[in-house]
Amino acid sequence: MQRMAYTFSFPEEVLEHVFSFIWNERDRNAISLVCKSWYEIERWCRRKVFVGNCYAVSPLMVVKRFPEVRSIALKGKPHFADFNLVPDGWGGYVCPWIAAMARAFPCLEEIRLKRMVITDESLELIAKSFKNFKVLVLTSCEGFTTDGLAAIAANCRNLRELDLQESEVEEDLSGHWLSHFPDSYTSLVSLNISCLNNEVSLSALERLLGRCPNLRTLRLNRAVPLDRLPNLLLQCPQLVELGTGVYSTEMRPEVFSNLEAAFSGCKQLKSLSGFWDVLPSYLPAVYPICSRLTSLNLSYAIIQSSDLIKLISQCPNLLRLWVLDYIEDAGLYALAASCKDLRELRVFPSDPFGLEPNVALTEQGLVSVSEGCPKLQSVLYFCRQMSNAALHTIARNRTNLTRFRLCIIEPRTPDYLTHEPLDSGFGAIVEQCKDLQRLSLSGLLTDRVFEYIGTCGKKLEMLSVAFAGDSDLGLHHVLSGCDNLRKLEIRDCPFGDKALLANAEKLETMRSLWMSSCSVSYGACKLLGQKMPRLNVEVIDERGPPDSRPDDCPVEKLYIYRTIAGPRLDMPGFVWTMEDDSSLRLE
Amino acid sequence: MFDAAMAVVKPEMKSYIWLQTVDGSIQQVEEEVAMFCPMICQEVLQTGLGSSKTYAISLPQRVNPAMLGLILDYCRFHQVPGHSNKERKTFDEKFIRMDTKKLCELTSAADSLQLKPLVDLTSRALARIIEGKTPEEIRETFHLPDDLTEDLCQEEKLEPLRNITDDPRIRLLNRLYARKRKELKERKKLKDVEVEEEPKDERSVEDLLSFINGADGDIKGTRANKNKKKNRRRKDHAKDISSENTNENDKELNPLPSAYHDVNFDNALEASASKHSRTQNLPAINFSPKFEFIDGDVDDDLDPAMKEELDREVEDFARRLNSDWPERMQILSLGQDRRLVPISMNSNGSTHLYTGFDQR
Repeated sequence: MQRMAYTFSFPEEVLEHVFSFIWNERDRNAISLVCKSWYEIERWCRRKVFVGNCYAVSPLMVVKRFPEVRSIALKGKPHFADFNLVPDGWGGYVCPWIAAMARAFPCLEEIRLKRMVITDESLELIAKSFKNFKVLVLTSCEGFTTDGLAAIAANCRNLRELDLQESEVEEDLSGHWLSHFPDSYTSLVSLNISCLNNEVSLSALERLLGRCPNLRTLRLNRAVPLDRLPNLLLQCPQLVELGTGVYSTEMRPEVFSNLEAAFSGCKQLKSLSGFWDVLPSYLPAVYPICSRLTSLNLSYAIIQSSDLIKLISQCPNLLRLWVLDYIEDAGLYALAASCKDLRELRVFPSDPFGLEPNVALTEQGLVSVSEGCPKLQSVLYFCRQMSNAALHTIARNRTNLTRFRLCIIEPRTPDYLTHEPLDSGFGAIVEQCKDLQRLSLSGLLTDRVFEYIGTCGKKLEMLSVAFAGDSDLGLHHVLSGCDNLRKLEIRDCPFGDKALLANAEKLETMRSLWMSSCSVSYGACKLLGQKMPRLNVEVIDERGPPDSRPDDCPVEKLYIYRTIAGPRLDMPGFVWTMEDDSSLRLE
Repeated sequence: MFDAAMAVVKPEMKSYIWLQTVDGSIQQVEEEVAMFCPMICQEVLQTGLGSSKTYAISLPQRVNPAMLGLILDYCRFHQVPGHSNKERKTFDEKFIRMDTKKLCELTSAADSLQLKPLVDLTSRALARIIEGKTPEEIRETFHLPDDLTEDLCQEEKLEPLRNITDDPRIRLLNRLYARKRKELKERKKLKDVEVEEEPKDERSVEDLLSFINGADGDIKGTRANKNKKKNRRRKDHAKDISSENTNENDKELNPLPSAYHDVNFDNALEASASKHSRTQNLPAINFSPKFEFIDGDVDDDLDPAMKEELDREVEDFARRLNSDWPERMQILSLGQDRRLVPISMNSNGSTHLYTGFDQR
């Protein structure tokens, strides 16, 4: 006899109240799979929904299941779109989602999109449909113009957050879309226009900033001139995060003193970014606030190592630093000496296509940071040379790494000391960093590194591989060994059919797999699509129909993702979905 | 006895409220403590009850004497002004140290008395208990039924068990599940066209299996896909396998670079095959030689005594698989010292269950 379930004496409202204290998506998903009553209660009190792949589920399914959603986050194109590997027009269109939500969720308040295509018509629909709309975040999005932004500005009276991080916006030259914020509008908390190329109306911006007392984050675009920055800052001294525009102008003493005074007036500033076209003599203007800074994003700033050292040495409380490789080993040494709380470091290349090193940045810079920053968890590091010895040292120094993305610029670069593959170095990283969730590989690598990853990468969720491995065995190690893998992206590796087909069921537990310039045959793709009805197997081939070539011909690009929505309806001509056999599909 | 003793003593300076729980017991509580509960306060003000034993306030059904005792302890502490926030926090942390069942009862009782601070406290504690657990773990902790999966079509329950430890018994159970799935699918195939489709599917899976077990890099799967068979006679099977061998010999498009890799790859794939191979499309009575090979492999792992015991277990499993599902679940849960979870823990299950909402 089954024991009396607690829920018999436990009202639904109380259980709903318990659920209201659980915010993590994974926990919410687990709750909804417990039993019938929990499924029902959870779906009615779910307020936030995250869809990691907009084609994994249809808008109608989400709308039916979660009727009371207030906030939704969607992702579209594969991550490799950031590296121009996904053809234009592939997809990621948000329009069907906006249309479905406009009908079903009149109380929707927040929309966050990443790598999606959104039109002005969709922005206008958002502006008209959601009466209490508060947050619009468009990260790496495209397809819209400042006309769409004007509609948002004019109609969303409760808008708190407008964030256009890294998006591509078609701009009218007047920059007057900011004027569409009504004079009575005062609720802005966060504004990010850093991706815009053209000038915005500075007078409209100044008035907007002046009447929004709760503004905390302001990220300006490059076109905002430095001599106007002090006036803008005077309107919002309560800022916590600031992104400047261009950071140079002709030398005039009053510009510097105005700038220094304005920065000093921002008593709560903790985060700085922007700094396009830096003139070093203006950098001391920020020195008075450096001791408060926890985040510094100088990835657009061309600052030489000596100037960076002076700046960083005054920021002992940094948690996060993004910077170009001009920092060099000397700058990273200074960082290691000064910033004991650092958790995240990203070093980007200033000249990724140059044939010779243009800066003195080596593996030793990263080694010194791993030695000097005990709380380091996240690393993205572009460089030109690396050694197994250095990787072993980094692994030994920082076993708490959760993200390690190493990008050695030249493909198949070996250990520069021994000229051997970097297998054992990356092996040490995955072996000793037991909480590693994200890993990007580069350099000369054999299948042996994948054996390490398959054996030790039990918490690995995302893996990027390029120009690596010897055979199918490498891919097999990863797919059969990494229990928690969600996203796998592979380019220019000799991985083929065997490993893919042998681990077909693994793909249903993953969000997505991207393979380009590999050895997967069209025939294997068809077989996979037939046997795995819950996977969309998309062959991307701009050369023409794959059927016109033999089945054993390798496909150029392959994108596989799990879905309960079936094949998508918005495929362009160069995408072919490997349909499952209709006789096998369960109704 | 307690009540009798209290009756003897005359109330002096303090006022008291009389409360009655659902089991009929009545107790006398200091007024300021009892009134800390909004529901009791409301009842006193609206009805005037509570002033004597005869006119005790009847508490909701969810409040039993034990829970009432706990709640009054909480109220006794918090209604006193002057405690610092730190003291209150320390008290709360100690107060919610109890087992999950009691915590659920307390939450429910506090809710019925509209004592929101305590409801929040216990709800947060329950939320912390839930976080980080899998659905199976949550069901176990809260003794909840696995009734969500009963709504699914029966076939979904027959997802292969995750064979992490490479247990031969799990492999056998997966084979039984595969047969069951096969039967269920056959019942759904009402159309002749679909019946004709079956041979192709069967062949493809077979090729996939030989793919997995093959030593060479031949991609037979792509070739096999082009062949369509109209009948299912055993002779044709033999012939096709023979022709596959011929194809095998003719083509080695992707030879592995070294013998070492061959050995490693085969071993790894063999282990994977036991985890991932799908046999649901094979006819129950018409196993391919490759499948028999796997079967033989199983036999080789077991000594005769264990094999005999295993055969009895297999027969028992087969019987259970054909029983009604509620009965089957009951049998499975009662009959096993070591519980076999019928649903793959890493699977997202069926369409109905698919959450699809990943960590970003």
